Amino acid sequence: MRIGLIKKMNSIIRKNRLIVLVTLVYSALFILSPDKAIKSIENSVYYLLEMLQVLPVIFLFTVVIEALIPKEMIMRGFGEKSGLKGNLLALLLGSISAGPIYAAFPISKALLGKGASISNIVIILSSWAVIKVPMLANEAKFLSIHFMIVRWMLTVLAIFVMANITGMLVKKKDLPAEEAIVKSLEIREGYCIGCGICVKMHPDYYEMKDNKALVIKAPESKEALKMIHASIEKCPSKAIIFNNENEDYPQ
Amino acid sequence: MDLFTIAFFIIAIVLTIISLIKDKKKTLTAMKKSKGMMGNMLGEIIAIIFIIGLVLTFIPPATIKTVLGSANIFVATIVSALVGSITLIPAFVAFPLVGSLVDVGASIVPAVAFLTTLTMVGMVTFPLEKKEFGTKFAITRNVLSFGFAIVIALTMGVVL
Repeated sequence: MRIGLIKKMNSIIRKNRLIVLVTLVYSALFILSPDKAIKSIENSVYYLLEMLQVLPVIFLFTVVIEALIPKEMIMRGFGEKSGLKGNLLALLLGSISAGPIYAAFPISKALLGKGASISNIVIILSSWAVIKVPMLANEAKFLSIHFMIVRWMLTVLAIFVMANITGMLVKKKDLPAEEAIVKSLEIREGYCIGCGICVKMHPDYYEMKDNKALVIKAPESKEALKMIHASIEKCPSKAIIFNNENEDYPQ
Repeated sequence: MDLFTIAFFIIAIVLTIISLIKDKKKTLTAMKKSKGMMGNMLGEIIAIIFIIGLVLTFIPPATIKTVLGSANIFVATIVSALVGSITLIPAFVAFPLVGSLVDVGASIVPAVAFLTTLTMVGMVTFPLEKKEFGTKFAITRNVLSFGFAIVIALTMGVVL
């Protein structure tokens, strides 16, 4: 029992390594130099408020992308074959966005999951970070309109070149597959007879709930996938299905 | 809250309502999925925000000003690009800061390098980017952004 608890604690710490680290640094700072620690927290407040304003919107947008917009539309707009039009569309999406770059991560993931190309994701992320209408106005005011326009043009050019280079270097298989696999490993509720074989075979991946089996974790590697395949075959009612989403990306 | 964010709030809510009317079950499933995804990121985002607070305390705008205005343009450009990669200061602080320097005659090359890496390269957000998009993607994007920030800065030095 105790070993299990320690294991669980370990996995929680591993999952939240960054938070643990930050907490430690702040604790040390509070002891060594309390005024610096307080100053740091004060500095963080502005960004916390910004986050609270932006994240609910981002949440709703990812939901809309997931539920309302058909996959074909995303593929046509942002997919591998969308070409220059796709690039421009991505630039537009990134430029009219609100919020810091991390707010672009969930949206980009949702778009990737629906077939957007890597180069278009780079365009969205980069323009999301750099190009913002209120920011451009600020730049023109404090530097000059001329300065702002030249920097904007050079930045857009750089983003397009970067997007193409990244598109060539990084392939879909280099991205963490988690999202696609979660979706692809399913148990058809109506077919599951609740025998519990899959849970017995892989308690890490399946769980029983109300006499039906549930997928609780995605297979994170090819080896895990192979292992999971055994449970798919053992299932007496063939209720577990696995469809690899990545296979239907047109190359 | 600025006008932009408010507009986005309204658009997002309207679209979500449309989605709910069109297919309630699908929308609720999507909400569950998004909640999981954002929940995973939330802890890291909060950690990142507190790192930003730390960085701002130890590299305050006054220090950045000294770096940007230093005499050796080549060194100043590289250091400014590095400082821009590490810090994340709000745009409404960054532009007046850079503007005041350029007004007193500092070179614009380090200034542009700083402004560009400030937003495009994220050392602080790197762990999150790596987790969500993979190591190769995150490294490629950030290294390229850093390189191009310097290219943009040098080009602007020539053009302006």
